[in-house]
Amino acid sequence: MASLVFIEFDKNIINGYTKQSATLASLNSNLVIGVSDYKDEVYLNTLGEYGFDKVYMVNDFSNEDKIFNIIRDENIQTIFSSNSNNIKEISSKISINFNFPILNNVINLESINKPKTSIFSGKAEAEIQIDTDKCIFILNKNLIESKEFNKSTKVVNLVTSVNENNYLVLEKVDNKEDVSLLNAEIVVSAGRGLKGPENWEMIENLAKKLNAATACSKPVSDAGWRPHHEHVGQTGIKISPQIYFAIGISGAIQHLAGVNSSKNIIVINSDPEAPFFKSADYGIVGDAFEIVPELLKALDN
Amino acid sequence: MKILVCISCVPDTTSKISFINESEFDKNNVQYIIGPYEDYALARAVELKEKDSSIDISLLNIGLSENDHLLRKGLAIGADRAFRINANPVDSKFVSANIANFVENNDFDLILMGKESIDYNSGLVHFLTGSILNIKTFNSVTYLDLENNENAIIKRETETGIEKLKAKLPLILGCQEPIAEWKIPNMRGIMSARTKELLVVEPIVQSSGFHYKKFNLPLKKTSIKMFSLENINDLLKELKLK
Ligand SMILES: Cc1cc2nc3c(=O)[nH]c(=O)nc-3n(C[C@H](O)[C@H](O)[C@H](O)COP(=O)(O)OP(=O)(O)OC[C@H]3O[C@@H](n4cnc5c(N)ncnc54)[C@H](O)[C@@H]3O)c2cc1C
Ligand SMILES: Nc1ncnc2c1ncn2[C@@H]1O[C@H](COP(=O)(O)O)[C@@H](O)[C@H]1O
Repeated sequence: MASLVFIEFDKNIINGYTKQSATLASLNSNLVIGVSDYKDEVYLNTLGEYGFDKVYMVNDFSNEDKIFNIIRDENIQTIFSSNSNNIKEISSKISINFNFPILNNVINLESINKPKTSIFSGKAEAEIQIDTDKCIFILNKNLIESKEFNKSTKVVNLVTSVNENNYLVLEKVDNKEDVSLLNAEIVVSAGRGLKGPENWEMIENLAKKLNAATACSKPVSDAGWRPHHEHVGQTGIKISPQIYFAIGISGAIQHLAGVNSSKNIIVINSDPEAPFFKSADYGIVGDAFEIVPELLKALDN
Repeated sequence: MKILVCISCVPDTTSKISFINESEFDKNNVQYIIGPYEDYALARAVELKEKDSSIDISLLNIGLSENDHLLRKGLAIGADRAFRINANPVDSKFVSANIANFVENNDFDLILMGKESIDYNSGLVHFLTGSILNIKTFNSVTYLDLENNENAIIKRETETGIEKLKAKLPLILGCQEPIAEWKIPNMRGIMSARTKELLVVEPIVQSSGFHYKKFNLPLKKTSIKMFSLENINDLLKELKLK
């Protein structure tokens, strides 16, 4: 059985999501095909290490005809993917054209016919029965530890004509952060307990020391203290890092909806009754303006 | 200019989630709302209509009659008419097949959805609908304006930043904040909603290739370990940060 993984990059190397997808693909099929829109043949040749048997280079994922050909030629039966929008878009096209079932928020794939998905923003789980031998799995982060393999990879360059888009990019503004919120293993997040935007310097310092991304609660971005793309929760970004620091955040149910699948949650709050403590693994009751500087000092020593 | 806003009707964000016999969502004592992302989408459509009264807004929900009060609420916020496709919205392929079928029978220039529904969170209905209809779809849209009823100027969040685009209509957009401010219906809106049309349409059949076997709640975090200013070092060691 052959499976396909869309390869994604973080600063020119494949990201954690892709490694995870490739591991699952290798464990569940005997041929793992990658598709990359980043045409670095020398680097792609090394991806056997992560389980890829063959990698197709394309100009971009929006060229569906080329990708449909790969699905046909390689007789692809399963697709493992991340939940980024451009991959969800091409996955949806495949799902419609080839009649693949498609599942998002997959949290468990121990048995490939009986996946589990997260529903109601992490408040519940569903066990699913797939009725065909094909499927597209859009995976949550940290579902499995990625493994190393010892395969050799063949790289194929598909020369694609540039797609004629019916849209025009007018402007592109890259996020300033060094570490992207979606890929970060550690996230330092703060809420209204910080009182004002002028107090974020210590949060940024803590993040920098931990090589972490920064995040915030909704009222903080609504008030313009932090940019909107940092807001996590029900109406913001959903993240699942290894470590989530929640500083001066009360732990409203809508906030938890975006962070409840983090591996370790550390809550720092001056109110011992703050609801967040009920969903935390570690807690410190105290004033953020004392605790955070102390954390910074401790990390320096 | 015809805009379609597709809304999901979902449990309020503070609802306690539970299941009957692990097989069916327990609707008892659950209050329903218009999905928060679609609330943003509808609010933006109404803002556009405030600037250009020739804009016509239709609302669409795939759901049962228990949702009618939320469609009425959408009419009170400012939509011109509402449609309900009379079916239990079982999964994203079923929902998108029905939206696509509806759009094929009623032309629209712009189809607004939310970034995702908050019940089954598939985040796919917009892309699937776009794939069926062959209409370009953007998700995570944070800004929307119209240009000569021909193009949309939008901003969308990507993995690495924000892109501003000019795209030819028709389009499907998955909206999120800060595209607009949530709107609350006023008295005049509520009165005028009473005379607006709410039409019920029969569904088409579409299988998704999978079914739900059972539902359960995730394991609760068992115990929390507390630390203090004095033993912060121990916390860092425990987390392997030192
Ligand atoms: C439909 C809907 C969707 C929503 N979506 C989201 C979402 O996506 N994300 C989100 O975050 N919210 C969301 N909300 C809002 C949510 O309900 C809460 O209002 C919000 O999360 C509260 O933010 P906060 O914890 O920063 O502020 P507060 O609730 O005001 O909490 C501040 C906390 O800081 C603590 N504190 C105060 N001073 C200090 C100090 N010196 N040191 C340490 N701690 C201190 C306080 O004890 C308190 O617990 C949504 C709400 C609705 C209705
Ligand atoms: N039952 C439904 N009726 C109408 N629109 C829906 C329905 N379910 C989802 N949608 C739309 O599709 C978007 C994405 O939903 P989903 O793919 O379920 O996360 C939502 O934000 C809605 O705009």
